[in-house]
Amino acid sequence: MASLMLGEGEKMLILHGVEDDMRNDGRTRRKYRPMELETNVVSHANGSARLRLANTDILVGIKTEIDCPFPETPNLGKIEFFVDCSANATPAFEGRGGEDLAMEISNSLACAYNSFPLDQLCITKGEQCWKLYADILILECGGNLYDAVSIAVKAALSSTEVPKVVGTVLDGGTVDLVLSDDPFDCQKLDVRRAPLLVTLCKIGDFCVVDPTAEEEMCSVASMVVSVLENGTVSSSFKCGAGSLHSETVKEALKIGKEVGQSLNQELEEILLEEQNLGPKRELFGFLK
Amino acid sequence: MPVDSRRLQGPETTFSYHLYVNKQPQTHSQWVKQVLKSNGKRSDGRKLDDIRKIFLKTSVMSQAKGSAYIEVGNTKVICSAFDPREIPNNNKFSLNGELFCEFKFANFSQKKRRGFIRDAEEKDLSVCLKRALEPAVCRHEFPNFQVDVYALVLEDDGSALAAAITCASLALADASIPMYDLVTALTLGVHGDHKFLDPTSEEERLCCHEPPGQNKNHGLIVLAYATELQQVTQLKQIGVMDSEFLIEASNSLSSHCSQTHKLSQQCLAQVVLKTTKEKKRLLELGETFKKMDVGSQKD
Amino acid sequence: MPPDTQIKETEDIICVPGLRICAADNKHVAGKGTYERQGYIYSTLAGILHLVQQKEEGFVVEVHSSNEQSVVPVPGNIVTAKVMTINLRMAICQIRCIGDTVLSQPYRGILRREDIRATEKDKVEVYNSVRPGDIILARVLPVNEVQSYQLSTAENELGVVIAHTSAGVPMVPISWDQMQCPKTYVKENRKVAKIVPEDIAVD
Repeated sequence: MASLMLGEGEKMLILHGVEDDMRNDGRTRRKYRPMELETNVVSHANGSARLRLANTDILVGIKTEIDCPFPETPNLGKIEFFVDCSANATPAFEGRGGEDLAMEISNSLACAYNSFPLDQLCITKGEQCWKLYADILILECGGNLYDAVSIAVKAALSSTEVPKVVGTVLDGGTVDLVLSDDPFDCQKLDVRRAPLLVTLCKIGDFCVVDPTAEEEMCSVASMVVSVLENGTVSSSFKCGAGSLHSETVKEALKIGKEVGQSLNQELEEILLEEQNLGPKRELFGFLK
Repeated sequence: MPVDSRRLQGPETTFSYHLYVNKQPQTHSQWVKQVLKSNGKRSDGRKLDDIRKIFLKTSVMSQAKGSAYIEVGNTKVICSAFDPREIPNNNKFSLNGELFCEFKFANFSQKKRRGFIRDAEEKDLSVCLKRALEPAVCRHEFPNFQVDVYALVLEDDGSALAAAITCASLALADASIPMYDLVTALTLGVHGDHKFLDPTSEEERLCCHEPPGQNKNHGLIVLAYATELQQVTQLKQIGVMDSEFLIEASNSLSSHCSQTHKLSQQCLAQVVLKTTKEKKRLLELGETFKKMDVGSQKD
Repeated sequence: MPPDTQIKETEDIICVPGLRICAADNKHVAGKGTYERQGYIYSTLAGILHLVQQKEEGFVVEVHSSNEQSVVPVPGNIVTAKVMTINLRMAICQIRCIGDTVLSQPYRGILRREDIRATEKDKVEVYNSVRPGDIILARVLPVNEVQSYQLSTAENELGVVIAHTSAGVPMVPISWDQMQCPKTYVKENRKVAKIVPEDIAVD
């Protein structure tokens, strides 16, 4: 991650702030920073979203392609995550610099999305399925990448439109698909079982939600919990070089569940609100 | 996808024949019955909360500074650890040493053949292994250096990551890398109301499927625990489950980890005992030779 | 080991990483191979417990690994290094031993021109102080941003210990800055280490 210089005094200030439940930017331990979210910002993608969480800027584009399902799972589609840490965020990401971080994020998303119903991507069993490519671009990183990326991915998936298949033609043993001629004749994906990741950063004796880059520097270990709409956990793991006490793990999971559930709810409401604005809504894009 | 052309590649589209033989049980209840017998015992005769027999051995490789081998039932993992070395193309000074971990499945370790190029799963598991070991290693004792740990799964019959963590921690101790504590890890497979401690690969496969009943909990939990420090060094869970259940499961896993921790300690202690005895014997031998030497000079 | 300390033999108490050895108090201090946490001393290595008796009351608790202990150079260590290449600004060396432990693999060290001797630093020439193939004794300097270790020979006891002529004959030191070939009597310039006599006797 972007290297940041932080003195001992600054670290103490953050630590005491967390202890008093009053962080540097005035938030409590369980509050998120303000977010800006917009979907359908990229015209060439089937679905896209841009999320700005304070200084963290994420752009996600979803592309769909037709692929063969795995022989073990003939009735499931595929989804793949690619994370690209742009060197715009920090020069440390230049070349292969951001590769490790990108891999960790994409793997954690792949783990978390095991709850996602892939059968909706099946076209013909054992023959053809949709494959979703979720390409995640990290434009700026101001801490809490896991949460921001997962929110952006879920928003992008909710805006994704998969072309309708109107028929199949059997041609010498291979199945050819006939797609609808109308580019607006699409179907939306069911994203109710798409998880959101919640990072619980351990600072001092407390778990903090939505850590800034500075707060991440003060912590050696955090738990990442991926939470579904109904509050169940679809994956969780520890990240960072430190270790956690069992009690901390317990607390982190508990907070993660509550925060994740309310975050899911809020995201759903906001997405619905945006959808109600209709296709003629004003696009802000990157102009703000 | 880069392909290593020097090695023999199979044709691009091949399927494992296991898809055609060994037909999956038709119904879900049949499948559960196949894995869990009606008397509450598993297919290998264990109870649900029994772990498999563990075999541990250190210093199995002469060229590595330290190495260890573990067998948990049919799961076999070999680990080696090397001396601190300079970090290649590093241009900044780091106060803490680095731990470099590589987790690899042997090509023949699973039913389906694994490729030799590390795939995403292996990279993910490498990171997991690193995160599980890092808190236990005194990294400040070798600033600006990296210690390499390689884990190779020879045969995977479930709980490979957990076995690799336990094994790698022993390999590090065997390599005399200073550590705060030994790390041991265990896997718990969850499928509805059933909890399989230390699952085999067949049980793992079952746990990755959603049960039809009321209780939809399913998945795998791997917990790495440093018993002396009382710290969870890694918790990795995949699959959908309630957070309350997860908390409870991680608690019971950590207490089970403490038991395997004793095994690791015992194994190391035996090695120390053996080497010191050997050293003493050599020393005595040297003394007697010296005496003989002195004696012959007098003559 | 300073002469006023002595090792107290323990009855082969075996330690493994994370094992609690004893409480840390005035009489017990955590030494090599151990760490202190919350008032107790724990082992970090698998090995045998040693209690080192200090002059005043008390012991240093140490754990000695049964295998060869991996060591990395720490600032202040005296190391034995072999000079590999030299240029106008520095000599690039390979650190082979730290104190009296032989390393299993060499580490890179750099002896800069201004660290060769303590006085008249600006007149030092690397070529007249060390040459490739020489074995030197040097002290490890505090590490800064550079990747490899920086060495210094700016002490009387530090410098070239073993040097050979181009014909391969080991040379004999004749002064602090010269060595001579016993066969041809050719003199060559070196920054010679003044070896303490006891050490020679030991060899």
